[in-house]
Amino acid sequence: MHDGSGLIAVQNLTKQFGSVTAVHNLSFTVSPGSVTGFLGPNGAGKTTTLRMLLGLVKPTGGTATINGRPFHQLGQPGRVVGAVLEAQGFHPARSARNHLRVYASAIGVPDAQADQVIGLVGLGSAADRKVGGFSLGMKQRLALATALLGDPQVLVLDEPANGLDPEGIAWLRTFLQSYARMGRTVLISSHLLAEVEQTVDQVVIISRGQTMFYGPLEQLRQSQQRRVLVQPSDINALATALRAEGVHAIEQLPDGRLAVSGVDSRHVADSALKAGVSIYGIQEEQVDLERLFFQLTSGQYAGHAPAPFKQQGGWA
Amino acid sequence: MGNLVQAELRKTTTTGLWWGLLIPTAVLALGWGLATGLLGQFFVDFASSSDVDEVSDFLGVTPDQWKVSLFGMARAINISTIFPMIFGAMAISGEINRRTITTTFLTAPSRMHSMLAKMLVYVLWGAIYGLVIMLFVGLGVVFTSSAGQLPDAGGWAMLTLVCVMSSILMTMFGVGVGALIPNVAGTIVLLLLYFLVIENVLHGVLAYLEVPSVIGFLPNGSINGLTGSVAVDLFLSTAGVVPPEIEDVLRAIAGAAGALDWWWSGLVFLGWAGVVFAGGWAVTQSKDIT
Repeated sequence: MHDGSGLIAVQNLTKQFGSVTAVHNLSFTVSPGSVTGFLGPNGAGKTTTLRMLLGLVKPTGGTATINGRPFHQLGQPGRVVGAVLEAQGFHPARSARNHLRVYASAIGVPDAQADQVIGLVGLGSAADRKVGGFSLGMKQRLALATALLGDPQVLVLDEPANGLDPEGIAWLRTFLQSYARMGRTVLISSHLLAEVEQTVDQVVIISRGQTMFYGPLEQLRQSQQRRVLVQPSDINALATALRAEGVHAIEQLPDGRLAVSGVDSRHVADSALKAGVSIYGIQEEQVDLERLFFQLTSGQYAGHAPAPFKQQGGWA
Repeated sequence: MGNLVQAELRKTTTTGLWWGLLIPTAVLALGWGLATGLLGQFFVDFASSSDVDEVSDFLGVTPDQWKVSLFGMARAINISTIFPMIFGAMAISGEINRRTITTTFLTAPSRMHSMLAKMLVYVLWGAIYGLVIMLFVGLGVVFTSSAGQLPDAGGWAMLTLVCVMSSILMTMFGVGVGALIPNVAGTIVLLLLYFLVIENVLHGVLAYLEVPSVIGFLPNGSINGLTGSVAVDLFLSTAGVVPPEIEDVLRAIAGAAGALDWWWSGLVFLGWAGVVFAGGWAVTQSKDIT
């Protein structure tokens, strides 16, 4: 049986669909107690990876385990891992409550659990309506309720914010964070870093089926040094003064400003004052995670700028 | 396993498909019961009114005692069990089509567990359909036949048994095909084409080639043999001595030309259902659910 650790371990995972390599030698682990973001552009292999983890897709190579076991060895998987996946269907003629009762009996939990989770996701008043009439956001909530039926230790969510309104996203964020704080494991995929930035503590960033970054979000932030952008009256004087203080990461920008790394704006302003240089403008550059994300994942399916218009005729 | 069986049972009772298919099943069974009952009655009336004494002497009983309703019932059961087969065919193909199979596999210890639970539930549904078919076929026949043409209590019991068995087996066959061809429309079209057209043509060809005994080993031939052979046996048990040529004709009328004994027929069809289910299992087991 599984070890109850709540650990997700993906090792050298590879999936080949015909000639297409969807996932290539992917490795990462997800620990309990935190929300981990699984990020990458569309087509990077996120969904395939999650489906391999959940035993729905057979890996070509490598392993994916939950609690030390592959999915099909978990015994009663519904009590260990709950999943919200894209393209997870509902029978349109079945009511939300009946849908949950079907899977409550499959997992072996009492029907009362179905009523509890439906209230938890805020669908209590729609419980007896047929799912066919549900909006995308309501279906996402119902999928989450289904995932929670077995009170699982591990939650895996593939693009759960899809179709949710801002209020729903805010609710989901709080919910997932408190779920993780109970010592459980939450893995949530997204193609937008900004969407999950406020939710996740750890990130796994993949591109073209490979791991690009894996670690705490804070570490990703620090991986890019903050820069101070300053417009002095005398560039050379300021640069010399800063170098004299041991600040060497100075770079001149095309717009005539200096970019100084490793110190804050106050330090730069003080140096300028001492050197008798006026400052016309100063700002601290914000760490743009989105830009980092693009740098890490760029290249895949990148579009090109439109070709410049060329005149064909000779009469112009 | 009990949990999964309950889950699968709930799946079938929480949508309208079971009664949506049960109603046309009952209507078809009743219609065929009425029609074949009438046809049998016409035949008996005709036989009684004309100078066919030789035939009745031959069979050892007067025409009004011929249990001709048995043939109609066998035929009516055969045609009506197409519906439980379709019901079974949608068990797995329907889930794949609606993508509910993802959640089903996420909440089951293994895919094999899911499929076995499904099979058990559909065996139960096959039995329910079988009982309903027998009830409505019986009603139709009783309504249009005179008492002399109807079987005795033992005959009714035997027919009910093979009707329920036939319905269960057809449902199981449908479940297997639905797993093998994970496409609702494709599965249904193929099953209907095969059972209503392709194999009937094949029967004709086999009869023409003078190897009718092969028919009893084909899917439709064997499932028809299950009910048809019982009908012929029951008919003959009250009809005295019948020469083999006439017996072949009677078998053809009952839809059991070339068929084996009823229980052999049942086993042969169970074999077919098993082969198809094994194929469906192999396909489902290795399938990537994307």
